[in-house]
Amino acid sequence: MAKLLVVDDDSDIVQVLKLGLLKNRFLVNAFTNPEEALQSFKSNAESYCLVLSDIRMPALSGIQIARKVKEINPGVKTVLMTSFEIRDNEFSKVFPSTQVDGFVQKPVGIDDLTNKILSIIGETKRRVV
Amino acid sequence: MRVNSNNNELIKKWFKEEVAEGENGIVIYPNLQTFRQIYTQYVKDQLANAGNDEEDDDNNSTRNEQLKPRIILIATFYETINSVKHNLNAVGVDVQRHIDNGSLLIVDAFNCYYPDINGMKKLVASISNRAARQGRVGVSAIVNTGFFFLFGGDGEAIELINYEASLPPKTEGGNIIGFSCYHVRNYNTLKDSQKEELVQGQKKVLEVTEIAA
Repeated sequence: MAKLLVVDDDSDIVQVLKLGLLKNRFLVNAFTNPEEALQSFKSNAESYCLVLSDIRMPALSGIQIARKVKEINPGVKTVLMTSFEIRDNEFSKVFPSTQVDGFVQKPVGIDDLTNKILSIIGETKRRVV
Repeated sequence: MRVNSNNNELIKKWFKEEVAEGENGIVIYPNLQTFRQIYTQYVKDQLANAGNDEEDDDNNSTRNEQLKPRIILIATFYETINSVKHNLNAVGVDVQRHIDNGSLLIVDAFNCYYPDINGMKKLVASISNRAARQGRVGVSAIVNTGFFFLFGGDGEAIELINYEASLPPKTEGGNIIGFSCYHVRNYNTLKDSQKEELVQGQKKVLEVTEIAA
């Protein structure tokens, strides 16, 4: 069963993503506070298969979260979301030190997001019996 | 100066009276909602008198002798440009008209700092030149510094301090009023010594605090 960590400092977005992903048969832990999200990850690092995080957040950005979760569990997949235009040069500064497995432009439909996540983690991991 | 976020009059007074033409100040805000209130109020106040007189340069000599309204630059980081426009429209600012007549410019701060860290300074300088050419009062630059906290690490703090140090507290004869705006949760990731370095040169600081529950 695929467990996701979702992080976005916009509470409305977190709520929508959580409900949508739950409906699409993922296990979801969602946070608006990135520091709390990281604490949750640290205490259960092996249980998460993917971290989905907004990029631009104060105190701890999605880029920093991606870097830290990979340090703790190199096997976890990371997907970053942003409402801003995604340009290759935006992230060249952090590559290859941070491995980000995918980017998502907000707003994103739940089905598109689900497909993106499945393409990264593999279909078989998700299935809830 | 520390001010509660509900003390609008004191916040307005600080923006109006504490940071003068040619000066750079620092604003620390507690959350995005408060920051929205701050910048929308400031823009509304500054552009309140920016009527149609900007659009008819050759109308009459009396008008031409008066300085035209200042140019407001908002460099956003945690909100999209469209969100900023929406917030300003919501308080009654005619955003499109002010953009069209050159009194308002809204940009993504990321694109002004990256890949060239001096891009913001170059942009502000070019707006300053335009303001002078057009006989405007000056330029106000409200710049969110979130970019400097995006990638993390001590190197970024040093980059920020060096950048902030390159903005003099006061430039004699300058026509720019600059506000470097920090989310308090970013600001608090800095060490005490780094915070002190930020305000070197006795920059004026407004710390807006959340109202205790």
